[in-house]
Amino acid sequence: MIQLHNVSKAYQKDSSALDQISLKIEKGEFVYLTGASGAGKSTLLKLLYGGERPNRGQILLDGRNITRMGPRQLPLVRRRLGIVFQDFKLISTRTVFENVAFALEVQGRKRFEISKKVYAALKNVGLEHKLNRRPLELSGGEQQRVAVARALVVDPIVLLADEPTGNLDPETTLELMDLFKSANARGSTVVMATHDRELIRRFPRRVITLDAGRVVEDRHV
Amino acid sequence: MFDILPYFFRRALRNMAQSPFLCIAAVATVTVSLTIVAFFVIIVFNVEKITARWSQEVQVVAYLDQVPAPAVLDQRVRDIRKIEGVAEVEVVSREQAFERFRGRLGQHAELLEGVDPQILPASLEISLKPDYRNRQGVENLVAALKARGDLGDLRYGHDWLVRFEAFLGLLRLMGLVLGGFLLFATLFIVSNTIRLTLFVRRDELEIMALVGATPLFIKTPFIIEGALQGLCGGLLSLSGVYLVYRLFLREGLGTLLFTAGGSEVLFLPPAYLVGLIGLGLFLGVFGSLGALRKFVRI
Repeated sequence: MIQLHNVSKAYQKDSSALDQISLKIEKGEFVYLTGASGAGKSTLLKLLYGGERPNRGQILLDGRNITRMGPRQLPLVRRRLGIVFQDFKLISTRTVFENVAFALEVQGRKRFEISKKVYAALKNVGLEHKLNRRPLELSGGEQQRVAVARALVVDPIVLLADEPTGNLDPETTLELMDLFKSANARGSTVVMATHDRELIRRFPRRVITLDAGRVVEDRHV
Repeated sequence: MFDILPYFFRRALRNMAQSPFLCIAAVATVTVSLTIVAFFVIIVFNVEKITARWSQEVQVVAYLDQVPAPAVLDQRVRDIRKIEGVAEVEVVSREQAFERFRGRLGQHAELLEGVDPQILPASLEISLKPDYRNRQGVENLVAALKARGDLGDLRYGHDWLVRFEAFLGLLRLMGLVLGGFLLFATLFIVSNTIRLTLFVRRDELEIMALVGATPLFIKTPFIIEGALQGLCGGLLSLSGVYLVYRLFLREGLGTLLFTAGGSEVLFLPPAYLVGLIGLGLFLGVFGSLGALRKFVRI
């Protein structure tokens, strides 16, 4: 599903965020990206959704080379991804429903189909009763669940999550992990950046450890 | 596919409703900017009218040493009418010239008592078509008339023409420089105001891109929003300018122009009004496009 060949990324000339990374993630896998702050976890995720371009190397996503894609093709790839961030990235002026619906609107789906799918996605994260609220009226955990609903409503082939539990309490973290596990069980490949060792211990999966932009460990726990 | 254009319009309107303050700021900026432009255009338009009126005075007078027979005179007039640039030829007889002179003397007309009404020469007053009412046009006509050799003294106020042309040139240059500066300043201000509104929404733009919106999908509602704001600004500035014109400009500027030979201050003709609204639309659309280029990065 995801292949990286000698991928390097440097934001400045003399310091490299990622250095010749090569790895392969199979369809349906659940992978943790871990490492200290600045190890390159977020940069790797950004490269996977095309938020940044590598200086060197190739990235294949579902068989397509995203490093060569232009601004017209890249959005079409992103529509098949679900992305969750630590800071939720919700539109504060829109309702919960509108935030989730947005991911389907950009695909030009029909209105009744959008309503149906958004309701189902919000029900899946237990927020169907708050669909008319605005994000700032919700708790941090609820906002993150809205973000997950937005990511899952498109039935993503890959779910990318950048420290999604970083701002959540332990109980909400467990709820969120359940959502990720069930998305993975439905066939989505999950790549989750985290430095929460307790989380990895509790939900053991494949762990790719980065340090100073290099893969230092790749193991199943 | 759902109907994409109504969707974009809905989103543009919703954006405006959700950020009313930013929307009002953008519309107000366009309104104020266009109002200033419109005032400038009114002044230029009216000054142009006056200069056009002044230019009607541009004519060549050919004095006739001897008045020929009517048939010969008619033939001469017909020949002159055929010269390029000639609009009209009026024959002024000795008697008519004398009567005009008397009229100009007004209350001192009695000074002409006992003077022979045949004392002044007859003349041909040759007026030019609007496009030829300039120094070049007059000089070409004079050269053509001189070449005929059957006309006496030719008068056409050469010095006045030179000064008039210099004044017109200066006026046009001022109009061009001031108008260009105003237009540039307006585009700059409007573009920056819209950029500010987009800066506030940069997170929204980023999220749109992250969920797979194409650049066109992201930009179109903002361009529609800019167009609507520009249109509103154009219409509001039009109403504002008309109100100020009715209340102040017609009187104030009228007095000034009247002393310069004008009559009343004219409001902008319909084509200019449409142009002003079009300018608002242009400012809104291109202001948005310029600002979006900075913020929308896929």
